[in-house]
Amino acid sequence: MNEAIQTQYNKAPNRKLYFITISIIILALLIWSFIGVDITGLDQKGTGLAVNIVRGIVTPDLEFLFDFSTQGVPYLLYETIAIALLGTVFGSLLAIPISFLMAPSVVSGPVAYITRLVVIFIRTIPSLVYGIMFIRVTGPGAYAGVLTMSITSIGMISRLYVDVIENLDRGVLEAMTSMGCTTYQKIRYGILPQLFSSFLSTTIYRFDMNLRDATILGLVGAGGIGAPLIFAMRSYRWNQVGSILIGLVVLILLVELFSNKLRSRLVSGTK
Amino acid sequence: MIEFINVNKTYPNGVTALKDVNLKIEQGEFVAIIGLSGAGKSTLIRCINRMHEINEGTLNVDGVNVSNLRGKQVRDFRRKIGMIFQSFNLVTRTTVLNNVLVSSVPELSFWRKTLGLFPKEKKIAALEALDKVGILDKAYNRVDQLSGGQQQRVALARTLAQNPSIILADEPVASLDPVTAKVVMDDFKRINQEMEMSILINIHHVELALEYADRVIGVRKGEVVYDGKSEDVTQDVLNNIYGSLTEVPHMDDPEEAKV
Amino acid sequence: MEETVYDKIFKPKTYTLENGKTVKQRASRTPLILLLVLIATYASFRTTGADLSLLLKRGNQFFVIIIGMFPPNFEFLSNIWGPLFDTIQMSLLGSLAGALVAVPLALLSSSNIIKNAFVNGFFKFFLSILRTLPTLVLALIFTFLFGLGTMAGMLSIFIFTSSYVGKLMYEHIENVDMGAFEANESMGLSKVEAFRYAIIPEVLPTYLSVSLYAFEGNVRYAAILGYVGAGGIGLVLNERLGWRDYPSVGMVLLVLMIVVFIIERVSEYFRRKLS
Repeated sequence: MNEAIQTQYNKAPNRKLYFITISIIILALLIWSFIGVDITGLDQKGTGLAVNIVRGIVTPDLEFLFDFSTQGVPYLLYETIAIALLGTVFGSLLAIPISFLMAPSVVSGPVAYITRLVVIFIRTIPSLVYGIMFIRVTGPGAYAGVLTMSITSIGMISRLYVDVIENLDRGVLEAMTSMGCTTYQKIRYGILPQLFSSFLSTTIYRFDMNLRDATILGLVGAGGIGAPLIFAMRSYRWNQVGSILIGLVVLILLVELFSNKLRSRLVSGTK
Repeated sequence: MIEFINVNKTYPNGVTALKDVNLKIEQGEFVAIIGLSGAGKSTLIRCINRMHEINEGTLNVDGVNVSNLRGKQVRDFRRKIGMIFQSFNLVTRTTVLNNVLVSSVPELSFWRKTLGLFPKEKKIAALEALDKVGILDKAYNRVDQLSGGQQQRVALARTLAQNPSIILADEPVASLDPVTAKVVMDDFKRINQEMEMSILINIHHVELALEYADRVIGVRKGEVVYDGKSEDVTQDVLNNIYGSLTEVPHMDDPEEAKV
Repeated sequence: MEETVYDKIFKPKTYTLENGKTVKQRASRTPLILLLVLIATYASFRTTGADLSLLLKRGNQFFVIIIGMFPPNFEFLSNIWGPLFDTIQMSLLGSLAGALVAVPLALLSSSNIIKNAFVNGFFKFFLSILRTLPTLVLALIFTFLFGLGTMAGMLSIFIFTSSYVGKLMYEHIENVDMGAFEANESMGLSKVEAFRYAIIPEVLPTYLSVSLYAFEGNVRYAAILGYVGAGGIGLVLNERLGWRDYPSVGMVLLVLMIVVFIIERVSEYFRRKLS
């Protein structure tokens, strides 16, 4: 084996220390987490419940499932959608000015930073806490749910909007300036079209996620399908639980299908 | 030795890829395969290492009937055949050495494979392969820092580290500038002569083909229309391979020799 | 340009150029879309009983709670650490396990690795279903099955993370350059080996970035999970709110905010390094 090769072999950059340190840290974290979480298995009662739930899904309460009055699953799902829809609409509208205030390219550094902190504060408060707070205002019911959804949406949506604003194509504006356009024209024809389709796409995506969150608002009495679900579970009415779960899954699958189609249409430009 | 006996291949949509192919290539030959794009050159060489499958006929490589291989046998079979691609097909985010080492993966134990811990002798073998193509000094560079010619040589080193008996190359120099292309072709020639490896190259550049290869196979619409020594290739032969007068490269015109 | 039903009702405008060529411009869809959105919004208003004037009248009630949170009760801090760590541990374990399981799931869903349409379709569908189940509903069900506590929370996070990371990863994998993978197979590597050496190095940065991002979100979410009884700091929150002990609630939220802030900064730092 010739010398050149031997030298090269010895010159291998030593990343071992780096990898070992990181592995140790991760391992330590893992072990720490393991100790903390008490891994309970399915006990006797638990298995029984699991079986019941599965049974409930397979033999759902069809009457409940297809009851189109205000007590039935379809209406509750509809109410959940309505909550999610309004929450998303309000949230995205409110998020627009907030996102502009967070964008370093629009406002000054400190202002942007402060707004970001405020938004983080808003985002950290769990949605259920908001639920309780709003119930004091509106009383229990779907309205509280709407308001809760609005606020929780602001956090996520404004963050995504800011990304869109920051990534605006400045080239278009430059071209427009060279053509002699006024500021209004630049905003109306250069900026808004870009923002609009991205904002819309973000909003639709968030609607999808809001729908999942809206289902649980019922916990605090803020409307939607959460409350009946919990009632049914607490009273061991498994076939009702089954029908609610089925309705829920069907709904979300449909919405996801629909929103995916819509978003890909927006992106690919067929309108 | 590679042997095609009455080989036919048709794609599911009815298009004929290979028709009545009969070839015999001995160990140690340097063969260039020329023809129009879509004539079947790529398909031809990919059948040899079973990247594509044939519908009819027999294909024997070193005494093994390629169509009869199953599962792990295919993988073991491919160890002995190296392949070079037009777009190099390297992992650009990692080092040159790591790319060459990949060729030894099938021989490693489970844990070494999974964690990427290569034993010393494999590393030395890889470094030696790099030395043979003249880029030993770049061993620890990231692949995306290298030029096209250098990357193709890394690919070549990767293949050499396999210790194959046959090297298949699909347009290996098409992405390279003329000077670098020659360097790479020189490497192929040297490997062919020093290590007696069979080399089959698909190539657009007729002049290079005639300059480096001992034997030329012309493919047209899936059929072998010429099979003979490169000295014997005349303008008429080229006309036949490439089909029409307008598309044919002219032998004496260096500009036009590239198709 | 394909003519749809809409075009039959609202005919496209035809422009005729000087040289006789004609161009059709479809009538804009925007008015229709706007109308639909407005109708949906109105219907939602009716269903939910949303009433803006109510906001104005009783809006101050909202702030009653917030004001009650100041000043936060610092003495409550000692009660927070335990549950807080629970929450972080729960998210960490769930996220880690989820990220790991996501790898084979993504592999099986990728049409360019496993060329079996049936397998791809099945796993993609499986991932969709997992993502579909609202995490909170899952957590709820799990508290029934596994009892109150961190196990339930960890499982829900685990399921969500594996489907979230899994989906993003197979989308990424399907768009990756397959050249090196093909080369590896031609050298005699098995599909799994080729995946490990050609695909994983390519997608690793994205994988780590996505997993980190999921962890970030999971920590925040874990607080909510606690609310349904799935352990951690949410339980404390639930309890304190029930007692209307707003200063303590304020303390919990303050601590939560700081922790989330730190985690997000660290996560952002690493994610930027990865791209």
